Amino acid sequence: MSRISTWLITSSIQELITPQNSSSMASRVLVLASILIFSCFAETCYGAISFSSLQRTLLVTASHRQGLLKAGEDKITVRWGLNQSFPAGTDSSYKTIKVQLCYAPISQVDRAWRKTEDHLNKDKTCQFKIVKKPYINVNETLEWTIERDVPTATFFIRAYALDSDDHEVAYGQNTDAQKKTNLFEIQAITGRHVSLDIASVCFSAFSVVSLMGFFFMEKRKARKSQQ
Amino acid sequence: MDRRGPSIQHGVASVSGAVFARIAMGTACDLFGPRLASASLILLTAPAVYFTSIASSPISFLLVRFFTGFSLATFVSAQFWMSSMFSGPVVGTANGVAAGWGNLGGGATQLIMPLVFSLIRDIGAVKFTAWRIAFFIPALFQTLSAFAILIFGQDLPDGNYQRLQNSGNKQKDKFSRVFYHGITNYRGWILALTYGYCFGVELTVDNIIAEYFYDRFNLKLHTAGIIAASFGLANLVSRPAGGVLSDMMAKRFGMRGRLWALWAVQTLGGVFCIILGQVGSLTASIVVMIVFSVFVQAACGLTFGVVPFVSRRSLGVISGMTGGGGNVGAVLTQLIFFKGSKYSKETGITLMGIMIVCCTLPIFLIYFPQWGGMFCGPSLEKIATEEDYYLSEWSSKEQGKGLHQASLKFADNSRSERGRRVHSQTLSSNATPSANV
Repeated sequence: MSRISTWLITSSIQELITPQNSSSMASRVLVLASILIFSCFAETCYGAISFSSLQRTLLVTASHRQGLLKAGEDKITVRWGLNQSFPAGTDSSYKTIKVQLCYAPISQVDRAWRKTEDHLNKDKTCQFKIVKKPYINVNETLEWTIERDVPTATFFIRAYALDSDDHEVAYGQNTDAQKKTNLFEIQAITGRHVSLDIASVCFSAFSVVSLMGFFFMEKRKARKSQQ
Repeated sequence: MDRRGPSIQHGVASVSGAVFARIAMGTACDLFGPRLASASLILLTAPAVYFTSIASSPISFLLVRFFTGFSLATFVSAQFWMSSMFSGPVVGTANGVAAGWGNLGGGATQLIMPLVFSLIRDIGAVKFTAWRIAFFIPALFQTLSAFAILIFGQDLPDGNYQRLQNSGNKQKDKFSRVFYHGITNYRGWILALTYGYCFGVELTVDNIIAEYFYDRFNLKLHTAGIIAASFGLANLVSRPAGGVLSDMMAKRFGMRGRLWALWAVQTLGGVFCIILGQVGSLTASIVVMIVFSVFVQAACGLTFGVVPFVSRRSLGVISGMTGGGGNVGAVLTQLIFFKGSKYSKETGITLMGIMIVCCTLPIFLIYFPQWGGMFCGPSLEKIATEEDYYLSEWSSKEQGKGLHQASLKFADNSRSERGRRVHSQTLSSNATPSANV
């Protein structure tokens, strides 16, 4: 894509340099301007959207019960909507809203697979989708049951507004810019079952008892062969 | 994955446990026989693997990992058992195959367990439960293999220790004497050091190579893991090849050939390690790593071509010391070269290669009076025999009681370590010394 735009730019510059009559000058400028705008879109088509280029136009809050939340059991009530202090028409390009559960900095320490990167297609901060639905210019609420495969960590909630090409154009989060306030902890399910516990204990006991059994049988055979 | 590497206390704790377990296992083999010693250890550590299924806190994970680690001392009993059942001309091959395929199992597990986990998860379990169920598979294998040892195995070609002891064919030995003769044999210490720089290096590389490829060449972690696994998978052929080479050299040149082959292969391993740290391209690194792995694992096989001949009475203790030396070498190397950011990984690898070459030099000092060493022939001052060497571990009082019969038989069998030229001469003279002193 960028190769096409580069070629267009160089060919149009060549045309600009060679002398032409003035009426075509205006059309040349128009072509160059449209090429520059086209290459900007080409950049976004490439997917290199950076988080720092997004505007924080959405307000997101999350409420939940006190204490450690349990995956698979507890619910979080998420509210999101456009921040009314922004001028009307800011949300004209918002077509979809995507609300995600994101790792707080404390849960990213020493874990490269959860790292925050400015380029959104490399960013690994938000790995769990809460909801993705068409955007409406109304404050929305959702009661979300925490999914079973969420690991034990500290989280916050972020909402991305996507345009018709599914690219992020704005965001909002329930914490501050340093991601230090309003964080909550989730405890993963253990996966343990009583049946597993019993099976482990039984098999372990069987191993040790069978060893004693073998020793006993050996002694008996030795005594028998001596008689 | 703690990328900062082991702390000093962590390293000391893990290595002391490992060394103690191996020497204890070696002594138990000398006293009770490898069949009972290894089966006992396997059945007593199987609960640790079963309990891994129900571990749910950092402490519990550490504990099950620690206790599972003790089961690795069955390496010592396996080598002891091979050395007892297979005669001199093939003992290197037997030890090499047993140990090589054992190490291979460690690498294969890393490929198989994720498949078992996926299978259980696809059958219907949630992934948090599926991995717990998956641990029952190796735990069951452990229990069943212990049963197989007890039902089908025997300690010696003649039978089991207990029956032989009851019928008077084998005497029960004393722990203090067995231990003393093991630790006072300087060859055991030298082999412990050199084994630290072949098997210890293998363990170190197992730990750091995936990270090395991930960091230096920006591979995906999954790809780096596959390359690292291929390092361990080479054990299928390279360690047995080391054992076979040891036996081939012994056939022609005797014990001197075994020592030369061990020194040469391990030093070449060190050279390729130095090269591995220096190459900069991915393809060259993979090729050099494979060559390096073949040499280092063959050196492990060659080491256990020499160990069975160092002592007869204290074979288990010597095997345990050598095995323990491997673990010490691994922890030492990781602490010196791969802890923190003092050296970059490639510098660490090069320095490790230099240390391999230096720590292999003590093989020059190993000398058997009846067979010679690397630079000296057999002792000419007095005509040293295999019997003199192996009977020196028994006092005259013990020999009077007839406790040394097994060592005598072994001494006779080990005459093949003189090599082809000398062996054919002794066969023709047919010397069989009397048992009484």
